[in-house]
Amino acid sequence: MTQKKSNIAPSEAENFSRRQFLLGAGALGLSAAAYSALASAIADAPLRAKAYAAAQPSRKQAFQPIPFPDTEQARIGHLFRRAGFGITKQELTHFTSVGIDGAVDYLVEYQETDNSALDLRLAALPLNMTRPQDVPQWWTLRMAFTQRPLEEKMTLFWHGLLTSSFAKVGQGMAMYDQNQMFRARALDTYDVILKALARDPAMLIYLDNRLNRRQAPNENFARELMELFTMGRGNYTEQDIRESARAFTGWGLDPARKFLYARPQHDTGSKTFLGRTGPLDGDDIIDIILQQPATARHMARRLFSFFAYRDPSPLLLDRLAATFTRTRYSIKAVVREIFYSEEFFSDQAYRALVKSPIELVVGMWRQTEMDGDGRSLSGMASSMGQAILNPPNVAGWPGGEAWINSTTLLQRVNQAFNVSNQFVQRGLRDPQSASALLLAAPPEQLVDTLAAQLLDGNLPGGERTILVQFVRNLDSASSAAARRNPERVSSVLYLLLASPDYQLA
Amino acid sequence: MHITRRDMLKAGAAVSVGAVVAPSLFRRAHAAAAVDPPSDPTRYAGRTLIVVQMAGGNDGINTVIPYASGAYYSARQNIAIPQAQVLTLNNAVGLHPSMTALKSVWDAGKLAVVQGVSYPNPSSSHFEAMDIWRSADPKGVVRDGWLGRYLEKLESSQRKAFAGLALGNQLPGELLSYEYPVPTVESIQSYQFLSRVQGSDLARRRTQALMDMYKAFPSETPFAGLFDATLNAAADSSEALQRSNAGYVPAVTYPQNNSLSSGLKLLARAIDARLGLKVGHVSIGSYDTHANQTADQSRLLQGLSDALGAFYEDLKAHGKDQDVVVMTWSEFGRRVQSNGSGGTDHGSATVQFVMGGPVRGGLYGEYPSLTNLDNGNLKFTTDFRSVYATLLEEWLGVNADLVLGGRYPRLGFLQSVSSPAA
Repeated sequence: MTQKKSNIAPSEAENFSRRQFLLGAGALGLSAAAYSALASAIADAPLRAKAYAAAQPSRKQAFQPIPFPDTEQARIGHLFRRAGFGITKQELTHFTSVGIDGAVDYLVEYQETDNSALDLRLAALPLNMTRPQDVPQWWTLRMAFTQRPLEEKMTLFWHGLLTSSFAKVGQGMAMYDQNQMFRARALDTYDVILKALARDPAMLIYLDNRLNRRQAPNENFARELMELFTMGRGNYTEQDIRESARAFTGWGLDPARKFLYARPQHDTGSKTFLGRTGPLDGDDIIDIILQQPATARHMARRLFSFFAYRDPSPLLLDRLAATFTRTRYSIKAVVREIFYSEEFFSDQAYRALVKSPIELVVGMWRQTEMDGDGRSLSGMASSMGQAILNPPNVAGWPGGEAWINSTTLLQRVNQAFNVSNQFVQRGLRDPQSASALLLAAPPEQLVDTLAAQLLDGNLPGGERTILVQFVRNLDSASSAAARRNPERVSSVLYLLLASPDYQLA
Repeated sequence: MHITRRDMLKAGAAVSVGAVVAPSLFRRAHAAAAVDPPSDPTRYAGRTLIVVQMAGGNDGINTVIPYASGAYYSARQNIAIPQAQVLTLNNAVGLHPSMTALKSVWDAGKLAVVQGVSYPNPSSSHFEAMDIWRSADPKGVVRDGWLGRYLEKLESSQRKAFAGLALGNQLPGELLSYEYPVPTVESIQSYQFLSRVQGSDLARRRTQALMDMYKAFPSETPFAGLFDATLNAAADSSEALQRSNAGYVPAVTYPQNNSLSSGLKLLARAIDARLGLKVGHVSIGSYDTHANQTADQSRLLQGLSDALGAFYEDLKAHGKDQDVVVMTWSEFGRRVQSNGSGGTDHGSATVQFVMGGPVRGGLYGEYPSLTNLDNGNLKFTTDFRSVYATLLEEWLGVNADLVLGGRYPRLGFLQSVSSPAA
């Protein structure tokens, strides 16, 4: 099969395609300018705003990012949403005084942070790591209670990029072991990560490389290694896939499902891959792939879009790709550079990502300081479209606006309802709890206190007015005694957690 | 509280950079489309298209088996289906032995089998190929879905909350529209506002405050249109679905432990409840049979066939079989030569099924040669957009050329059609 589009420059392909696709556009009666703007608007989400602005000079201001509030509180909150799973009250107080640079250091150099409380908590639970329902619970609790948020966030990044799934891998330790491998190498260099991945039992099962033999090559892993894990489409040919599949022949599993290099099954013959010829093996393939500029750019884009926003400029990508290459593929160097960049703290980044379900569920849990075994959390995330350790396919979750549809938005709103009720229930038992202390707060104070904790103190005025008015109406309908009604706290918390603002990271 | 484009695009700029195209451009395109000869609303009003996605790349060669071909048996020594087991359709091809339920539909003359389906320079990447089938644009320029574009062409009277419906918790790309948020439903029970279930005055006011907050969210920012329109769609459609709760009782026993059959059962209920469903979508996965294909594909095809068979019988019992057409698709077929893992690697052309009361059963499109190949893959004979065009124009009553951005031959697999358009 011929490789699609690899020899066509993007702009050329696009122009041709627009013409081709909109054959019927004459019938639409569009002017040439509008027609071209329509096509480019459809072509590429990041281009839409520009295309719109170009076609409508009078409405250039139609798309406004949400301004990044100029407060340390907002910067710390933003950093902990992106590098972690939302900030707790204590963390907010502590790191606001430490400052942003100290907070970045704390997050990135996480191996210096003691995490033994988490280990003790997990050890106390009857979890069986061979069971497909226990590993998500275990991991969700790690996210919720870790002192090393970036360690878990990077593990989530790798799980979404270098996917495997219980659905195919099946019961046993392989999925847990892979997750631990990602955690142990979370900020390592990418060659180390990829070489571990190519020997990882879950991956060998998930993409069938355990069946890849000299006499019977199986291309599944070789294809996704290039298409999804490194270079991206358009940078290799179908022939490169077939040749690299030969290089990974014999990389399989022993009967105990541990990595086994089966020499008799390995094709020692000469292969030609991306212009290099020789008796290449899998490690050679990974080394050659990493030398490709496309890999550096791909990783720069994946990391930046995960942490900051989805359409980084080519210049920014060049900068991050150069760091990746200069540091011999250091993930830590790229991640650190992202957190130190101006772009990360720019308007374009603020509330510019849709929280993934697991981020949302864990974030609500952390921010309302819930406790317990967290058994229901991964199931909630699953109902919102993200079953961790069971991604929908090898490309992981598409993310962004694809997280939002009528069912997933209902589940998000409903989880906010559950959490707000639990928060208030706890408050009724403990008079010193945060929710108990809010029972009698005046409407403005009630709303502002919760918004400070949950939304960087940055609740748009229109929404704040609605909330304050809601509480006033509730209060005016009740006697003074009934004003300690727990419903006023749970309702405000519900509305804040269910708000559009809280769905954004 | 019907969602109109106007609501969604209130303030004229409530568009998400990620998901929604600049409104004025779409409004212009939409208005222009209205000069199209108007469809006959009564003729097309009660019609539904159900789309079943077989995700992962179904091996068409072992689905509709060229059992009379020696080339088939030599290319697939480890996974060939023995001639005696094939459910023969004619003297050349037959269905996989696990598809007895669909064979009954075939025998009743209500199953069309479209052969050799793909498009020029097919992609062998799952994700690129799925995008192509969903957008109906092999060039990868257009991002919205062919069915999303169809829904945008509906007259306002037909734009019910449930004109489109996807099963599951992800909106499939074919139903993506930049002006019409299509509801997705995973289960009826969970498809409602928990805060409203209590039914108290407080619950009602709380839900209203939530809707007000979504409206107050700054409309010029990214995601505003997406959030507000989706929440409104959720509110409307969950009310409609809960109201439809009573009444429908399946007339057949749908297969158990089969996500496709539970999806189809929910779609049957939506059809029975007259929720205005025009297009429904359900997906069933794991057709990516790189290894161990014989057992896996047999199980998958049996699940598909049993679920479709039950759906058809259920519709018939409810007097709806003449109102519903089902189409299956998969992003690609698989290589002619099987691999050494008892499986097949990514290929190109595959088969599609079209099923329903209005279908004229039979084989459509030519079965590709098993020996004259393109780099080991079948050369396609039928463009998938011909299948789409036939359904759009002859079943759903819209100008297919406008939806598909070009003209494709009609295939004539629907009974009401006198002759395929030139």
